[in-house]
Amino acid sequence: MRIQDLSSYNAVRQAGLDKLLPQKPRIAVGMGTCGTGNGAEGVFHAFADEIGQRGLDVQLARVGCFGFCAQEPLVNVWLPGRPLVVLRRVQPNDVPRILDDLYLGRITESLALCKIEEWDHLTGQIHYGRGYPDIPLWNEIPFFRGQKKIVLRNCGLIAADDIEEYIAVGGYQSLYKVLIDGTPDAAIEQIKAAKLRGRGGAGYPTGLKWEALRKAKEEPKYLICNADEGDPGAYMNRNEIESDPHSLLEGMIIGGYLTGAHEGIIYVRAEYPLAVHRLSRAIEQAKQYGVLGENILGRGFNFNISLVEGAGAFVCGEETALIASLEGHAGRPRPRPPFPAQKGLYGKPTNINNVETWYNIAPIIAKGAAWFNETGSSKSPGTKVFSLVGKVNNTGLIEMPLGTPLKTFVYDVGGGGINGRQIKAVQTGGPSGGCIPQDMFDTPVDYETLAKLGSIMGSGGMVVMDEDNCMVDVARYFIEFTHSESCGKCVPCRVGLDKALKILNAFTDGKGTEADLDSLDELGRMIRDMSLCGLGQTAPNPVLTTMRHFRHEFEDHIRANRCRAGVCENLALSPCENSCPLHMNIPRFLQLYKEDRLEEAFESVVMDNPLPASTGRVCQHPCEDRCRRTNLDSAINIRDVHRYIADSIYASDRYPAMIERILARKLAPTGKKVGIVGAGPAGLACAFYLSLLGHEATIYDSNAAAGGMLRYALPEYRLPEHVLDKEIELIERLGVKFVFNTTVGRDLSLDELEAQYDAVFLAMGTWKEASARLPGIELRGVMPALGFLEAVSKGEKVNLGKRVAVIGGGNSAIDSARTALRMGAEVTVIYRRERKDMPAIKEEVEAAEAEGANFVYLAAPHRIVGTTDGRVKAIEVVKTRLGEFDTSGRRKPVPTEEIQVFKCDTVILAIGERVDDALPRASGLKLTDSGTIAADRYTLQTSRPKVYAGGDVISGAANVVNAMGYGKKAARLIDQHLMEDKRIAKLSRKWEYDQTPPASPSKEPRQLPGQLDPLERVKSFAEVTTGLTALQVLHEAERCLRCDVKANGD
Amino acid sequence: MPLHKVSIRIDGEYVEAREGQTILEVARAAGKYIPTLCYLAGVSPSGACRLCVVEVSGVGRLLPSCTTAVQDGMSVTTNSEKLARYRRMVLEFLLTERNHYCSVCVSNGHCELQSMAAKLGVTHVRYPYTYPALPVDVSHPRFVLDHNRCILCTRCVRVCDEVEGAHVWDIASRGIRSMLVSELNKPWGESKSCTSCGKCVQACPTGALAEKGWAVEEMTKSHENISRLAVKRGVRV
Repeated sequence: MRIQDLSSYNAVRQAGLDKLLPQKPRIAVGMGTCGTGNGAEGVFHAFADEIGQRGLDVQLARVGCFGFCAQEPLVNVWLPGRPLVVLRRVQPNDVPRILDDLYLGRITESLALCKIEEWDHLTGQIHYGRGYPDIPLWNEIPFFRGQKKIVLRNCGLIAADDIEEYIAVGGYQSLYKVLIDGTPDAAIEQIKAAKLRGRGGAGYPTGLKWEALRKAKEEPKYLICNADEGDPGAYMNRNEIESDPHSLLEGMIIGGYLTGAHEGIIYVRAEYPLAVHRLSRAIEQAKQYGVLGENILGRGFNFNISLVEGAGAFVCGEETALIASLEGHAGRPRPRPPFPAQKGLYGKPTNINNVETWYNIAPIIAKGAAWFNETGSSKSPGTKVFSLVGKVNNTGLIEMPLGTPLKTFVYDVGGGGINGRQIKAVQTGGPSGGCIPQDMFDTPVDYETLAKLGSIMGSGGMVVMDEDNCMVDVARYFIEFTHSESCGKCVPCRVGLDKALKILNAFTDGKGTEADLDSLDELGRMIRDMSLCGLGQTAPNPVLTTMRHFRHEFEDHIRANRCRAGVCENLALSPCENSCPLHMNIPRFLQLYKEDRLEEAFESVVMDNPLPASTGRVCQHPCEDRCRRTNLDSAINIRDVHRYIADSIYASDRYPAMIERILARKLAPTGKKVGIVGAGPAGLACAFYLSLLGHEATIYDSNAAAGGMLRYALPEYRLPEHVLDKEIELIERLGVKFVFNTTVGRDLSLDELEAQYDAVFLAMGTWKEASARLPGIELRGVMPALGFLEAVSKGEKVNLGKRVAVIGGGNSAIDSARTALRMGAEVTVIYRRERKDMPAIKEEVEAAEAEGANFVYLAAPHRIVGTTDGRVKAIEVVKTRLGEFDTSGRRKPVPTEEIQVFKCDTVILAIGERVDDALPRASGLKLTDSGTIAADRYTLQTSRPKVYAGGDVISGAANVVNAMGYGKKAARLIDQHLMEDKRIAKLSRKWEYDQTPPASPSKEPRQLPGQLDPLERVKSFAEVTTGLTALQVLHEAERCLRCDVKANGD
Repeated sequence: MPLHKVSIRIDGEYVEAREGQTILEVARAAGKYIPTLCYLAGVSPSGACRLCVVEVSGVGRLLPSCTTAVQDGMSVTTNSEKLARYRRMVLEFLLTERNHYCSVCVSNGHCELQSMAAKLGVTHVRYPYTYPALPVDVSHPRFVLDHNRCILCTRCVRVCDEVEGAHVWDIASRGIRSMLVSELNKPWGESKSCTSCGKCVQACPTGALAEKGWAVEEMTKSHENISRLAVKRGVRV
């Protein structure tokens, strides 16, 4: 039916409305490429079959995509007079259930994502109805909250291949309006006033471009739609076309009328077959209905649109290359000026706009420039569609007002990191963009701000990266992409990118040099400044921004051959090994155990980690957080396996023989002497390896026994003293000397140590409580957590009273709470954030809960109230609420007016520890701003070259394995310095064990260690966790996926 | 239609120019030196080698002088520390991209790449050589194409297309794998469209296209005649 006047337009509109809001239930399946990829085709056919078999009077439609990719396939279900309900993750076998419910006039609420009561299509409104109080409105769920759908106004709601449904929501009304008004100049003014900017990424004002074309004298004029979307990770144009092709056509026809062009060309990637199909069909329908072709809407305007499929070259997204490609030449750009508006396609005036730009035209015509300016920022009004992908929970296509801060994208809409992982950066703009680090997430996303940070808006790709992404590899990946997509015309892009790629490949292979870094920087700037077209000019952005914001990662690769993310294959054995500060070869001991070689497994473990039983009990286990098995079910219980291996050797008569075996590995004496300050985990690990390397190691400690925090801060029920003693026995047998009850700085100066030894390693830890400003802190009954734990472990008498309040959420808070419980107190832990934000080990928090500790979250201490004689009586806390996200990716607690009072006799402050700066100050060592000892990241040397430092004294209070990692590293570096040779490798032996990964992953779930009953264990300091059984350990060893086995089998 | 006169400044000196002229044309007419490699008077400019980039005040980007038209009041800087460094890098890129062994090249001593390197002070290259394995096409009875010496400037492509009208040459593939091809990647000797006029050889700045029969240092070329011919035939003014 050809629309020639208002009455025929209204007739078509009514026909469309009858389909959109029929007198019967309507089921619409989201069938973009994304939905189809997730099985929407099967769902659609399941509905069709089932509806046919049951003979139901239900309308079934195919719509485009509503944008929430992580929840695909999406299905809209509507009952007359009720809201439209979006069902998520619908599978074919859900179909009978959905139809059963529908028959009863119900919605399958268990599958419901959200409901829509009314929808503003901007060119028209649809009122679906009201009801379903238990289903949230669409903009009440975090993913959609904050989104504003202008471009995506129709996507996922109307049938993509039905022009009548498009007209039902006011489609082609804006076209009608401009044709009837007949004032193209005024309409162009409106586009200019709307300050609409090119959505392809460069942001040039669309109105100005159109005006230039309107003023151009030559004929014919061409309009081109650039649908050659080629950025990895960007798919907004595809979805727009697949879901709502008529909006694009309408935008172009309006553009044709306003600029005086009569021919439009859509240049669309051939890799988008569904988009091509839907567009062709839309063009056909538009002609049939008289909105395209001759005498459009009976107003005498002629405009044709043809479709050209691009052959898949990224550079053809550049407008001059695109024109060359349309003309039948190879897709290579030419210098501008002349700009296409002067000399474009076939030398004629041409205007090129990105797909998304065209989608904004009809709404601006319909609602006006002032309305458009209400959204977004003053310089960049309106919205932009982004594809939010990568390491966030909610991936999908989102339309956000321009100027929205990046953190809203990542944390609010995206729902933060997967499995609570820390997000590191966001890459915007695809291969032409850059990486924005997490501490800059306050950045508003608009053209200017992103450019200032060295990135670009680009087409709107937004790739979120977490600690599992290596930024060097990210830079390498994008350069590899632009390198292979460079057309080769200009020298800087063609050859420069080749040089840059070679350097980046060397980095990821661990073969880069410092000079390469400077060279890469120079190359990047030169390619950016000298290249002919946008591809080359922006190609270095990923490199330049990652080098600016993540320089330490590049330096890690070069100076320490270290890839912290474990991505660069040549630099990491497996994710577990790579994340372990001690770099334990975890797959090896698991495999050795699996092969029933317990002694060798122990040897492997203890040579990597001299305190395997202790760490097996108390380690923060970063290895398990990175275990790839997490993606399958849950991590291997690595910590409990090496605890078991160590415990079984210690308990058996084989231990003496094992000690001999380790002693046999000792290298010949070197005559070098090293003094170590602090017998904690860092000092012990350092001494262990120094002794093995043949040096004489002497440890000084203020206490009467070795172990440091392991002995004096970790409670007996977590780490029994006899376990630690057993492990220290081996270190003593290696020849390490201990000087106890001696405080360096008081009994002995650093100068004296330096004179006596060839090198000194400082590993005193953080024993000083962080200062707190809290009224009432001077009252009797207020104590620091560390002091409390130390006193208990030394058997000193501590009077807690009946009720104890613990302030803090770290491990020492939980240790204090559980210790206090064992001393018969009632315990309340007060933490200012939420439970999930607690830095303490998760299992410890669970254990404390089971043992009966009370937890009060979102509460900050305000004042400690005392009795008249100066004893603690109560603590007042201010309730907090969650504010904005801070740089740690957690919501900032903001104090409220609400105050709560908890009666208590003791307050334990577990709010952090710091370095005791008496020794460093007395000996003139440089300190950092945060009060730790300043030491070189790579050499661990302090401002006194013979003096090294490691562990908490340089990192700030952390954990046992972090300290041990430093100790091990210090031993390697000190040895390297003293012997001028890299000798640490001489300590390792050849291992032979099976190098075949399991054919299929073991079905066993993660094995949990036995624990004493909470109600029983809280009565004593007996060890709570009894460990795994032999069979459980075997299960765990078999669960390992063997990420260490490389494809080439080395 | 007489073209408007405009006045621009080049390196501080006022120079008169006609509207529509490029910065390069005006600079050369005024006796200013701007290095070029892919530019060839008489055929359309390509803007590919980037040696001729200049700084124009008020414009953030560097602009190729061979394709950028003058505008009244423009102020152009043809040389600066940055431009000199970038131009040297372009030459370093070209010298390492393929196998430029001057000592065994027919064009040694008469090579524009070589003389440009000497002129711009490229005494050594700081990038690793690529050493690609590239063929030599000796199928043509009179001429030879040595890909090892080709810098992909496309002077041959343009001269053959625009002056001779044969369009024998074009560039196949893309990026670092770009290759000069005759016809649809057939040996040159089998080309039906080649008129064997030899203009491409004369246009070639290096030893990539040469006449057969010459030994090291013996191949001399003259592209001035091509430019003169092109201008005479009205290909481009």
